[in-house]
Amino acid sequence: MMKKTIMVVDDEADIRDTVKTVLKKEGYDVVVAVNADDCLKKLPQQKVDLILMDIMMPGTPVREAVKQIKGVKVAFLSVVRTSEAEKEELLKSKNIVDYIQKPFDIDELVARVKKILK
Amino acid sequence: MEKLQKLDIVKELAGNKTVLLLMPSLEYNDVIVKIAEELSGKSVCYVTLNKTYDSLKELFNKKKVDMSNIVFVDAISKTIKKTPSQTDSCYFVSSPGALTELSLVISKFLKHNFEYVIFDSVTNLMIYEKRDSVIKFVSYIINKVEASQSRAVFYSLNIKEHESTINELSMFSSKVIDLTD
Repeated sequence: MMKKTIMVVDDEADIRDTVKTVLKKEGYDVVVAVNADDCLKKLPQQKVDLILMDIMMPGTPVREAVKQIKGVKVAFLSVVRTSEAEKEELLKSKNIVDYIQKPFDIDELVARVKKILK
Repeated sequence: MEKLQKLDIVKELAGNKTVLLLMPSLEYNDVIVKIAEELSGKSVCYVTLNKTYDSLKELFNKKKVDMSNIVFVDAISKTIKKTPSQTDSCYFVSSPGALTELSLVISKFLKHNFEYVIFDSVTNLMIYEKRDSVIKFVSYIINKVEASQSRAVFYSLNIKEHESTINELSMFSSKVIDLTD
């Protein structure tokens, strides 16, 4: 079976590196991007099955960037606290499949990624 | 938790114009709820850089905090959803990194003589801005508070990564209260 590819988009190097290491260990191909602009630049260059994206980063606002992403599932990683209603509203947006609160438990992150990509 | 229970923010702010409150991350919500409870009924400007206004309302409602005299400045909502510039009880700023916009809004509130300003938090500012910009911005706001009728509490997580910034900001604040062990 073809390996699934996940793009981890986060301006924090620690998060990028940790998530990349963990997901590679789980058998996924992982590419990283340092912000939304970097993500948009790299997306046409390769097929990605899921984007794990920090919701708050310097550069193009994630809200704008996500509108330009077509045909790829996006799960938000967020240190920002939203209300339940706001979370539900975000998840109604096209392509947005999950909202993972930081700090997250690694096992839970892996479980949620597996669920999204099964 | 014992330190938190003993904290009397009204008393602390009566003797000090500005307080830098170093908080443990695990008890963050407990701290912000306790302080909001203690300051409820007084006029408060609450600047949030890590929770949306709706999220804070949800949290405070759950804890039955009286928010009738709190006006919020929310620098998060606009980054994640379509948001108006302002509502009756909230001003929305573009992002936590929009320091000029943020300082203009806070300055405006200081002119209205709010009794208290809560800045939540310096730590979030450090995610989006470089150390020097954070220090310059916070010291500017502290100076503005000093020259106003208001008193302000600045929240910060006490984390090693930001130790030098916290140390520098400590010099500008009237008092530093460390709730961590």
